[in-house]
Amino acid sequence: MDQSGKRHPSSFQQLEKLGEGTYATVFKGRNRQTGELVALKEIHLDSEEGTPSTAIREISLMKELKHENIVSLHDVIHTESKLMLVFEFMDRDLKKYMDHRGDRGALDYVTIKSFMHQLLQGIAFCHENRVLHRDLKPQNLLINNKGMLKLADFGLARAFGIPVNTFSNEVVTLWYRAPDVLLGSRTYNTSIDIWSAGCIMAEMYTGRPLFPGTTNEDQLQKIFRLMGTPSERSWPGISQYPEYRSNFHVYATQDLRMILPQVDPMGLDLLSRMLQLRPEMRVSAKDALRHPWFNDLKQLRAGLAQQQGQQQASAERARMDAAVRAQQMGAPMGGHVGGPVY
Amino acid sequence: MQSRRAARVRSASNIEANDENKATTTTRLTRAKAAALSTDAASTKLTTSKLSTTTTTTAAQNNRKRAALGDVSNVVKADGGAVEESKKVGGKKVSSKIALTNKAAATNGVTKTTRTAKAAPIKNTGKEEEVKRTNNGSGVMAKSRKRTTTAAAAAAKAKKEVVVEEKDASSVTTTTTTTAAAAAPTVKAVAAVELKVKVDAKEAEPVVHASKKIRTKEPAPRPPHNDLDDEDADDPLMVSEYVSEIFDYLREIEPATQPNPDYMDHQDELKWKMRGILIDWLIEVHTRFRLLPETLFLAVNIVDRFLSSKVVKLDKLQLVGVTAMFIAAKYEEVFSPHVQYFRHVADDGFTEEEILRAERFVLSTLDYNLSYPNPMNFLRRISKADQYDFQTRTVAKYLMEISLLDHRFMEFLPSHVAAAAMYLSRMMLERGPWDADLIHYSDYTEDQIMPVFHLMIDYLARPVKHEAFFKKYASKKFMKASIHARQWAKKNAKAHGIDISAPEPVESEEESR
Repeated sequence: MDQSGKRHPSSFQQLEKLGEGTYATVFKGRNRQTGELVALKEIHLDSEEGTPSTAIREISLMKELKHENIVSLHDVIHTESKLMLVFEFMDRDLKKYMDHRGDRGALDYVTIKSFMHQLLQGIAFCHENRVLHRDLKPQNLLINNKGMLKLADFGLARAFGIPVNTFSNEVVTLWYRAPDVLLGSRTYNTSIDIWSAGCIMAEMYTGRPLFPGTTNEDQLQKIFRLMGTPSERSWPGISQYPEYRSNFHVYATQDLRMILPQVDPMGLDLLSRMLQLRPEMRVSAKDALRHPWFNDLKQLRAGLAQQQGQQQASAERARMDAAVRAQQMGAPMGGHVGGPVY
Repeated sequence: MQSRRAARVRSASNIEANDENKATTTTRLTRAKAAALSTDAASTKLTTSKLSTTTTTTAAQNNRKRAALGDVSNVVKADGGAVEESKKVGGKKVSSKIALTNKAAATNGVTKTTRTAKAAPIKNTGKEEEVKRTNNGSGVMAKSRKRTTTAAAAAAKAKKEVVVEEKDASSVTTTTTTTAAAAAPTVKAVAAVELKVKVDAKEAEPVVHASKKIRTKEPAPRPPHNDLDDEDADDPLMVSEYVSEIFDYLREIEPATQPNPDYMDHQDELKWKMRGILIDWLIEVHTRFRLLPETLFLAVNIVDRFLSSKVVKLDKLQLVGVTAMFIAAKYEEVFSPHVQYFRHVADDGFTEEEILRAERFVLSTLDYNLSYPNPMNFLRRISKADQYDFQTRTVAKYLMEISLLDHRFMEFLPSHVAAAAMYLSRMMLERGPWDADLIHYSDYTEDQIMPVFHLMIDYLARPVKHEAFFKKYASKKFMKASIHARQWAKKNAKAHGIDISAPEPVESEEESR
């Protein structure tokens, strides 16, 4: 890392494009010396504003956050026109993983539990180190072939003080945005990441986003339709929020069991603790990790490891088949954004 | 036009964004407060029954005001002023800039004397103190951090409170048995814990926890304090479930962003006095841009760390300063000012391209590490132990900023400076002794604070050297802190063994080459 000044973009062979973010493009890359695969995040420098604040924060924070459930930043290469971040390579993001592996997007129970545990561990580590991620969603959770999940894309992350300062409320992708933020709160805290984690847990069960809203209002409505419309009675102080409307459509609270029949009672208990409308009622990542739902994780994982060996082999076969088929049809293989063309 | 809008948005947002004027008025906080107070009272009772040395009274706690609600801003900003301000900037800055270079040039002629004996002992004590601290940071702190996590993994919030108490009970025991064999205090402590467990039968885990604590306990025992974090359990802004981990972490990473306090030794054209002039000017810029207090501290840290590793020419010093503020604002602010404002404020002395190029150079020199534990964080943490007294914190902020202008503070950690600022502020305002809660929440004892405290008085008792800094805090909204503090220091310097007739330490630092 300390040689970053000496490194050059040419130390890496640029392979296919993995994705395009708001301020960066990500490529797969290979270290020419070691042969190691990496992810190269290229950030274009604005000729007017220089290094984006998102990049400054992302780099500074990721250099601190060394944890097995957070993608690691190997290197930073700064040239005249661009900034290149070299990350450890992960096979795919959770969104694609669900599309490929899942049953119409839905994952199996053991995988969900394992992923949730890893997700919460990554979040807890961020929070203990006074960092809010502020953009948790399946696309920003990376999965490797060993079944590991890691938090990535800290472009919206930032360090917080105590008491927490006022921040921007233009954070988190709409579908995963906490109701307090949707209501215009700018003094949110660690609980906003927990809401996102809850949404992700439900999505892993169903394969579909839990609250796929189109606008701020629609997003709130979708949440209220399920969780019930809050009032001063159920949420003292709610009317003080800038986006609060006294004429919100009043919905009764739904039973989560009806919406998510595939989730076991203990899992539902954890989920409902994460999806609390009031931020102060939401469980912390630290406490969520102690939830009894995770008690049997170790046993389940042992079984999963066995299974995975077999799965991997069959997945490899399927991939080959698909590649052959695609070649025959002369079409690119689906899934990837601008992904590899076979 | 666009930047004009941005400026307006920024000033509006900063009104809320500023830490000191959280206008959060939701009633849930009031509710949380009620809940907090009840647990609080309970905990106090528990403490007093077990240990008769509790210092905070229940009455005081009941009157406690929440910072987030009770505070009035120090930096109340007139709306829409930003644009006008920036226009003024251009004209007014000419003088500032000229002054910067002239004053700086003047120091070249100053005859340099070697360091006086007076300054040396202060420095040495400080160094020792520092070494101790750092050791704690890497060893004990790291361990205690892990411990907290595992302990927390078992204990719920209410339990945590007991853990802390027990830990302290044991440390008290250790003091009374002073020279006893190593095993003895442990046994005693465990006994004390067991005693407690009888009262509170549910607490099985803390026994292990407390006895473990003894072995790694730092030599200087501290009096028992109250755990004030539980009262924040329902206040989302206080992040009470992570607060102890976060502060342990901040203490742990403090040394990593410390500049080299002797960097002037390797600078060819620069002198400490020029640095003082630069920082004074940055304070002016910071006020004009209506930025957060954190941004100023980070900017100065960036300047010093950069100068620690690069030799800078005099005519580039201001560029370093402007760039540091530009970077700090990007890191800290919700909306940071456009680069053109920074060019303006430096009186077009540098082009925007130069600033952007400097930005890249500074960032890569610092290896993109901006994880500087801001002293503002520590100050607010200590503030918790005095019920967020607004006046003490305002004066303490002024005192803390002295550490930016006077390079002699550079060897001290941000947490150390924050503790000393609060200590001196409380002394000036006659707020009573540095009690167990203050020791706990600052993490510094009176003895440890002394070297920094003396330096602050030394700075205050001497003639004003940094005009902009003095003027900023001479205003009503800062309670005329700079005026009062200086009056106080002049009256009391002697009593604290500060002799201002000794040669100016700033000059004496500049050894002749």
